[in-house]
Amino acid sequence: MALEIGHSAYDFSLPGVDGKTYSLKDFADKPVLVLFFWCNHCPYVKAYEDRVIALAKEFGDRVAFVAINSNDPTQYPEDSFEEMKKRAEEKGYPFPYLFDETQSVARAYQATRTPEFFVFDEERELKYHGRFDDNWENPDQVRQEFVRDAIIALLNNEVPHYSQTPPIGCTIKWKV
Amino acid sequence: MRIELLYYPECPSHERALELLREALRAEGVDAPIEIIRIDTQAQAEQHRFIGSPTIRINGIEVDPHPELPYRLTCRTFVHEDGRLSPLPSLTMLRQAIRQAKEVSNDGT
Repeated sequence: MALEIGHSAYDFSLPGVDGKTYSLKDFADKPVLVLFFWCNHCPYVKAYEDRVIALAKEFGDRVAFVAINSNDPTQYPEDSFEEMKKRAEEKGYPFPYLFDETQSVARAYQATRTPEFFVFDEERELKYHGRFDDNWENPDQVRQEFVRDAIIALLNNEVPHYSQTPPIGCTIKWKV
Repeated sequence: MRIELLYYPECPSHERALELLREALRAEGVDAPIEIIRIDTQAQAEQHRFIGSPTIRINGIEVDPHPELPYRLTCRTFVHEDGRLSPLPSLTMLRQAIRQAKEVSNDGT
């Protein structure tokens, strides 16, 4: 059970691959915040990577995109902070990529998967939670772009048509 | 022909993988049962040489072999012919693996 629709965004203080430390106030100038749990190793993340980058580039001037990796890198070395830096550079991530080493942010948001998206309005109330779109397998056959539609609705001061969809992807790799 | 599909239930791709595998078998005219093996623990992953979900073997040979990868509970990534990364093998990869298995059987090797 993830954060309920209407719930306020939890603040955090996390290191980014660019050497900066980020919290919610760093995104306060944007009317929409898309926070998503992410990682390096998961094939669902890889399948969505180019789509998310494209969306971030399309809306980057009005929407803050923030990727958070909460996976335990001792079990999954591809998800270490060093590997995160490499991945962000290779792909040219147009958004901060943050490391939630203690996994406290994932727990606060009650996130379970990568990728898993949380879209907040200007008041930083949750308006959409779930998957990116309706076809992880084939980008050419997407019919519902849930995150994109939520962004557009919020930028138009409207309520997103879909507020929740089940996230699909790898489970977050918790520390044992 | 011995066909195995090994999966880790926390990885949601296995049902679609099974559909794809059945589609590939039909397309190649192979009527053989699919042995479905569920992997829940690291010990099982090691016992079954499981590098991620889904793992598909035909006559014991991996459809997309990666001997460099460790045995573990994870979802695996496949690189499709167009370079796209996916949690599933492509239909082409599966059909090719089935064809190769048939050829080896016909050669008697």
